[in-house]
Amino acid sequence: MRSRTKGFGTFYLSLFFVVLYFPVLSVILYSFNSSPSTAKWAGFTLDWYRELFSDGVIGQSFKTSIQVALLTSVLSAVLGTAAAIISLSVSKRVEKTIQGVMILPLLVPEVALGISLLIFFTALGLPFGHLTLVLSHSLFCVPYIYIMVQLRLKEIDKSVIEAARDLGATRGQTIRTIIIPLVMPSIITASLLALAMSLDDVVISSYMSGPRSTTLPVHIFSMMRVGVTPKINALCTLILVGTFFIVGLGQLAGKKNRIKEEF
Amino acid sequence: MGKSLLSLTGINKYYDKNHILKDVSFEVIDGEFLTFLGPSGCGKTTLLRCIAGLEEIDSGDILLKGQSIKGLSPNKRNVNTVFQNYSLFPHLNVYDNIAYGPRVKKSMAGDELKTKITDMLELVQMSGYEERMPNQLSGGEKQRIAIARALINEPDILLLDEPLGALDLKLRKHMQRELAHLQEKTGTTFIYVTHDQDEALNMSHRIAVIEKGRIQQLGSPREIYNNPRNLFVASFIGDRNIRKVKILEGGEGFAKVELGSNIIDIRCVHEAQHPCKSGDTAILAIHTDKMQVSCHEMPNSIKGIVTSIHFAGSQTRIDVDVDGEDMIVIEYLKNECECKVGDPVYLVWEETGAVLLPLEDSEDPRGFEEGDAV
Repeated sequence: MRSRTKGFGTFYLSLFFVVLYFPVLSVILYSFNSSPSTAKWAGFTLDWYRELFSDGVIGQSFKTSIQVALLTSVLSAVLGTAAAIISLSVSKRVEKTIQGVMILPLLVPEVALGISLLIFFTALGLPFGHLTLVLSHSLFCVPYIYIMVQLRLKEIDKSVIEAARDLGATRGQTIRTIIIPLVMPSIITASLLALAMSLDDVVISSYMSGPRSTTLPVHIFSMMRVGVTPKINALCTLILVGTFFIVGLGQLAGKKNRIKEEF
Repeated sequence: MGKSLLSLTGINKYYDKNHILKDVSFEVIDGEFLTFLGPSGCGKTTLLRCIAGLEEIDSGDILLKGQSIKGLSPNKRNVNTVFQNYSLFPHLNVYDNIAYGPRVKKSMAGDELKTKITDMLELVQMSGYEERMPNQLSGGEKQRIAIARALINEPDILLLDEPLGALDLKLRKHMQRELAHLQEKTGTTFIYVTHDQDEALNMSHRIAVIEKGRIQQLGSPREIYNNPRNLFVASFIGDRNIRKVKILEGGEGFAKVELGSNIIDIRCVHEAQHPCKSGDTAILAIHTDKMQVSCHEMPNSIKGIVTSIHFAGSQTRIDVDVDGEDMIVIEYLKNECECKVGDPVYLVWEETGAVLLPLEDSEDPRGFEEGDAV
């Protein structure tokens, strides 16, 4: 009885992972297919990667994506961490309010968020480009940073913070010398998450992109209108590898932190 | 002893609608080891935190060296706290933990700081541990580092919040002696919070027994132990047989009381605080270890029947039924009367071991159960 349940569990899980990752694997596989059609396998080639790297427009949009993602992760890390630290020293009610306001952008549909930002930035007269991209990406990244940093803050023994104050530290010194170092691993993990989210955002970016600042996903989207070429497969493969690398780095940072905390 | 260092007057503290500290006033003398002793939830830790500045008081005033420190944030008060769970900074090593205070206050640097930290580590017998991280230390070691981290700031008062609570019994006994020694050596005023009466009696110069947000009694360990002022203190400190008695005849340092079927004379050797009137009901509290069991009829004794005898090494516990309720006698010496279960016996007591207390008029009916030696 027991082993049968276990057998079913294993089967279910395997099926789950196959369904989840098979499409991903097929993208990687076809990026090396020498035939431009996805219908048949015609042999191994690196041509599509060569073509990809010689495409100047893709290179430009890749650069834009990286710049925007880096700026977004830094800006949202600062804003999210600050909000989390502030909500540590306010009353429960204010904290709940901050939390609600912080999480709201996650609940607003991206299409609506994109349109409202479009109208807002137009009204402000901001030129669409890097700036609007970074601001709008930060908007949906800050909540994640806030949540992750706040969770870590909750784990910190409050008396450690009291001890710092008791030993003569001002509020600012306590934040600088005790709180920030203790939540640093979470800030890093969350920033990497923000980096990944900014890199692969399409919906909001498509509203915010300016003339010379199209992000890579938006560019891919426009390429798709012409049809799926193996070049896109190659590009997606590279993006996948990059994303996994960033997420893996984040996991590693989190793990290291956990080991250090066990005492 | 010396002059007053810290003075609290009329301290009140509320959490929402709960009245945690009720009109607490007392003085702390320079260089003393004062203990707040009380059951959990009595407000002793809150009182300590009010002194540290980690809690704000709702009314009253706190004077440190004659200056009001009311409303000052913790970093502006020259008192330091040793927390119950050590609260070492987990990301800093022992050296940096101890250096934290002087560094944030910029009071010491360079070689001076280094020398001072070496001295501090020596004081708490932890030399050579500079590079260790907190997670590499045992509970006792963490505690010593926490003490060193506080003492390096040369506080006027060191506040200790149940610092030995998390240690095992043997280590706790050892640390008790060490803390008392440390206090003597540094001459720093210690305010120590505990719920453990042995700890309090062992180390303190004075004890404040706290219950329900009030100081029930403040005095030397001897005073507190021998001469409790009310039922709560009598039942909380030491093991006593506590019984309701009727006063037949009261006088100066003397009372004839009725305990069940026994009529006995109690000599109040301690300073009489509650004049006894004939006809009053009062509480008689006698230390279990200041009573003796005799097989022979004795003058002025309580008659009873042995219900059980428990041998426990250095002491023997004898339960004696007196008018349907047990009285407990702890005998430390070999009894010449080898009584057996069922024997009729006579209980006598040392005069210093017995006190007469007023029937509690406080709001708290807890703590009194007839015939219960707490």
